[in-house]
Amino acid sequence: MKQGMRFGLAALLALSLFGTALAKKVEITWWHAMSGSRLKVVEAIVDEFNATHPDIQLNALYTGKYAETLTKYVAAYRTGTAPNLVQVYEVGTQTMLDSGAIVPVYKIPGMLGEEWDWAQYVIPITNYYSTDGNLWSMPFNSSTAMLYYNKDLFKKAGLDPNKPPRTWKEVEEYGKKLVNSGVVDHALSFGWPGWVFEQMFAYHNQLFADHANGRKGRAEKVLFNGPFGQMVLETWTRLAKEKVFLYGGPEYSANTAFVGGQIAMLIQSTSSLAGITKGADFQVGTTFLPRFEGYPRGNSVIGGGSLWVTKGQSKEELAAVWEFLKFLAREDVAVQWHKGTGYFPTVNNAVQALLNEGWFSKDQNYLTAFLQILSGRRDTPAATGVRLGPFVQIRELERAAIEKAVSGKLTPKQALDEAAAKANQLLAQYNKLH
Amino acid sequence: MSRHTRLSLLTHAALIALVVVLAFPVYYALVTSTLSFREAYQYPPRLLPGTEFLSNLHEAWVRASFGRLFFNSTVISLVVAFVKIVLSLLAAFAYTHFRFRGAGFLFALSMITQMLPLPVRILPTYELMDAFHWIDTYYALTVPFFASTTGILLFRQFFLTVPRELSDAARVDGAGPMRYFWQILVPLSRTNIAALFVIEFIFMWSQYLWPLIVTNSADMRVVQIGLKMLIASEQIAPEWNVIMAGTVIAMVPPLVVLIALRRSFAQGIAMQSEK
Amino acid sequence: MTQERFPGHPFLPYLLVLPSLAVIVVFLIYPFAQSVWGSFFITSFFGDKKLFVGLENYLELFRSPDYLQSVVVTLYFSAFVVVLGLAASLGIALLLNQRIGGLGLYQIALVWTYSISPAVAGVIWALLFAPATGLIPWLVGLVVPGYTLNWMTNGSLALLVVSLAATWKMLGYNIVFFLAGLQNIPEELIDAARVDGAGPWLSFRYITLPMLSPTTTFLLFMNMLYAFFQVFGLIDIMTQGGPGDATNLLVYNLYRDAFIHLNSGRANAQSVIIFVVIAVAAMVQLRAATKKAVYAR
Repeated sequence: MKQGMRFGLAALLALSLFGTALAKKVEITWWHAMSGSRLKVVEAIVDEFNATHPDIQLNALYTGKYAETLTKYVAAYRTGTAPNLVQVYEVGTQTMLDSGAIVPVYKIPGMLGEEWDWAQYVIPITNYYSTDGNLWSMPFNSSTAMLYYNKDLFKKAGLDPNKPPRTWKEVEEYGKKLVNSGVVDHALSFGWPGWVFEQMFAYHNQLFADHANGRKGRAEKVLFNGPFGQMVLETWTRLAKEKVFLYGGPEYSANTAFVGGQIAMLIQSTSSLAGITKGADFQVGTTFLPRFEGYPRGNSVIGGGSLWVTKGQSKEELAAVWEFLKFLAREDVAVQWHKGTGYFPTVNNAVQALLNEGWFSKDQNYLTAFLQILSGRRDTPAATGVRLGPFVQIRELERAAIEKAVSGKLTPKQALDEAAAKANQLLAQYNKLH
Repeated sequence: MSRHTRLSLLTHAALIALVVVLAFPVYYALVTSTLSFREAYQYPPRLLPGTEFLSNLHEAWVRASFGRLFFNSTVISLVVAFVKIVLSLLAAFAYTHFRFRGAGFLFALSMITQMLPLPVRILPTYELMDAFHWIDTYYALTVPFFASTTGILLFRQFFLTVPRELSDAARVDGAGPMRYFWQILVPLSRTNIAALFVIEFIFMWSQYLWPLIVTNSADMRVVQIGLKMLIASEQIAPEWNVIMAGTVIAMVPPLVVLIALRRSFAQGIAMQSEK
Repeated sequence: MTQERFPGHPFLPYLLVLPSLAVIVVFLIYPFAQSVWGSFFITSFFGDKKLFVGLENYLELFRSPDYLQSVVVTLYFSAFVVVLGLAASLGIALLLNQRIGGLGLYQIALVWTYSISPAVAGVIWALLFAPATGLIPWLVGLVVPGYTLNWMTNGSLALLVVSLAATWKMLGYNIVFFLAGLQNIPEELIDAARVDGAGPWLSFRYITLPMLSPTTTFLLFMNMLYAFFQVFGLIDIMTQGGPGDATNLLVYNLYRDAFIHLNSGRANAQSVIIFVVIAVAAMVQLRAATKKAVYAR
C-alpha cells in the first residue's frame, strides 16, 4: 500500500515534469539489511535523496539479515542481476575484497573525473575498511562494543553508580558483590560473544591471526588459541563458575535480561543504546570495555556494515551511486543517521555539529563509544581488527568455543584449540580457492 | 454410580485436562499479546489478560507490514492447494481409469516426490529460480510445490473404490472421459478434496525456509517471515507483547480453514485410512 | 490391476499425468541430479572458481565432529518427536475412541494445534522458556530456589525444549490419523475378543495395534519427514542451532552451509546424504505397508 502511494506520488511527479526529467531518470538499486526502527531512518534518508535528486531514482530494498543479504547478492551477481549498491557486514569484508565483483570506492571519483576529500571521514572507522591506505567500501553503519550497567542495581548492592568497573578484575569484584548481596543472581552477560572475544584482542593490541591480522596478505593461521586468548576465556569461564557471568546467547538475547534487571552489566554493541534506554526503567550507565591489567593498549574494533559498489555499471549509474554516497556524507544526513540509530556518524563535521548542539552532553552515553574509539591507538594491524576470508564461520567457531568453555564441557584451552584447528582448515580451503 | 458412568466421567476429566494442557501455551501467548511492554516483563509472569491487545495488534501489523504478507500467504496457500488438487486429481484419474504403457514407471516416478523434499535439492532449485528470473516472484513461491504424492495417493485410493458401473453408465450415455471426470468423479471426491485442501493449505501457510531464501523485497514476503522479522528487528529486549500479537495474526487463517472444514477433513482422513 | 474404463483414448492418460510429471522432472529430479553433481566440487563464494574434488566433500563431512554431532542431535530429536509424539497421540486417540458424548467437540479441541506452523510453535515456546523472564524458568525457580533454568546456555535443555515444542505442534495431526484408524477397526472384532475373555490390554496388543499398523507406519514416515525438514522454522526462530550446536539439526546445518557459509559443495553433499536416509526410510515404510496389506487380506 505504501508502495502504491509512493508510486502514485512518483507518477504525479513524473507527470508534472513530463518529458524532461522522466527521460533522463537513472534508476539504481541498493540492497541493505536494516530492519525495524533502522528501516524507518533508511527510508527517510532515501526519500530525501530521491526528492533532492530528481534525475535519480534510488530503490532501497531490505533483503534480510546480513548473511541473507550477502548470499542473495552473491547469487544475483552470478546471474548478472546484482544491485548497484549492497550493504555487507564487517565479517564479509574479505569475501567482498576477493570477489572481483566490486569497484573500490576510492577509485570512483577518479573514474568520474571528480576530486573527493577522504580526510573528512572519522579515521578509526575508515581504517577498518581500508587496504594499503585506500578505502574499498563506504562505511555506513558502524558501531563498537561497550559496557552497559544498571545504576540502580549498583546502588542497591552498595556500589558507587558513578564508578563502573574499568578492569576485568573490578568486573569480577563488583560482580561478586552484586551476586552475594542478593541483588541479582548473575551480574554480567554479553551479546555477540565471538565479536566481544575479538574485541579483547584488538583492545589489548594482540594479533588475532597471522599476516598482520590478515591485513598484509591472506591469513593462514588464527592466533586466538595462544596465551592471551586462553587467559581471556579462562577469565570468562571462572566468572561463569562464580555465577558472575551468565552466558547470554548469540546476538541480542542478553539484552532481555539486562533490561529486565536480572543482570547488572552487559557488554553489547553501541547500537543497542537507543533500544536499551527505551526499554529500561532504571538509570543506564555506559563505560569503556573492561581491560586486562598489564597488557598493552589497542583499540576497540568497528563492527556493523559498509556499502560496496558493484562492478560493471554504466557511467550514469555509477555517478548516481556516487551521488548517494556523497549524500550520506552530508553533515545533516550523518547527524540524522546517528540520532536515529545510534551508529557512529562517519564524517568529522557531523561529529562537530553534534558536539556544538550539545547532543553528547544531553546523553553522555552516546559519547562513551566515541571516546573509546578515539582514545585508542589506530596505528597497528592488531588494534584495527582482523580480516579473514571465511570470517562468518570462524566467528561461529569462536562462539561455539566460548559456549563449550563456559558451560564446562571443555577446558578453555581445549575449546580454543579445537576451534583454531577448524578455523585453520577453513582458511586453507579458502586460500586454495582464491 | 455404575462402573460405566464412572469410567466415562474419568475419561471426560482426562480429556478436559488434556485439552487445557495442550492449549495452555497458546493461551499464554494470547495473554502476552494483551499486555504492555513492561507488563510482559513483570515478575512473576502474568496469567490474566491486560488491555493492550488492539494497540499491540496494530503495532505488529504496521511494523511487519502484515497486510501485504497476509495477502501473499493467502494467495500462495490457495494457489498451491488448488493446483495441487487439480494436478493430483488428473493424475489419479489416469492411473485408475486407463491402461497405458509406462504407467507403472510413471506412477513410481510421481511417488518419488516424497523422497525429494526441498532440502535435498535446495541449492540447485534456488539456482534454477535464479536462472528463470523467478527470484522474488510468486512463481518461485508456488510452482516448485505443485507436485503432490499425498494427493495422488489419496485420490487414487478413492477412485479405485468408485464402482465401475458409474463409468460404464456414463460411457453408455455417450459421455467422454473428461466429462465423466468433471461431472461425476470430481463432485464425488468433495470430501477428499476438502481434506487435501486443509492439509495443503496448512502446509503452505507454514512454509518458512523456501520463502526465506527466494524472496528479497518487502512486498513478496510471507507471514512466517514477518514473524521472524518481528523478533529480529529490534536489537533490544524482545517485545513479546507485539511479537505475540503477530503470532495471533499468523495463527488465524489456517485455524479458520481447519475449523470450517473439520468434518470433511476428519472424514477424508478416515476414508484414506480405510483398507 | 487397473481396469481400462475408457478404451480408445491412447493419448489422454499421458496428457493427464503430464502436468504433475513436468513439475516433478523440472523442479525435483533435475535439481536433485544437480545436487549430486555439485557435491563433487568445491566452489568459491562468488562461484567464479570451481574445483573438482571427487568425494572429498563427503569424506570431510564424515571426518567432521560437528557434522557427526549434528547427526546425533537429529537422531535424538527425531526419535523424541516420533516415539513420544506417536505414543502420546495414540493414547489420546484411544481416549477419544471411548464411546463418549461430545466427541466432535473434543476432537477439534485436541486437534486444532495442527494448524499452528512450526515457526509459530517456536515463538510460543521461546516465550514460555525465555531465560530469566519466562513463565517456566520462573516456576522452576519456585520449586528449586536459586536454580536458573537457561536453555540459552544449557545445550541438553535447549534440545529438550525444541523437541517438546516440535512434538506438541504435531500432536493434532497424529491424533486425527490415529482416531481415523481406530474408528475403522470393526467393533465386532473387539467385542469378539471380549467374549473370548481378553482384557483391554490383550485386545489392544493383539487386535488394535496390528489393525492400526498401516496408520502407524504412515505416521512414522510423516513424522520423520517432519522432524527432519519441517521444523526448520522452529529451530531458526528458537535457537539457530545453538547453544554450542546442541540443536543444530541436519537441515539447519545444511541451510547454514548453503546460504550463510556459501559452501555449496558441502551443502550439496549433505543434501545427498539426507536423501539416502529418507530413501531408506521410505523403502522400509513401503515394505511394511505392503506386508501389512497382504497380512490384512
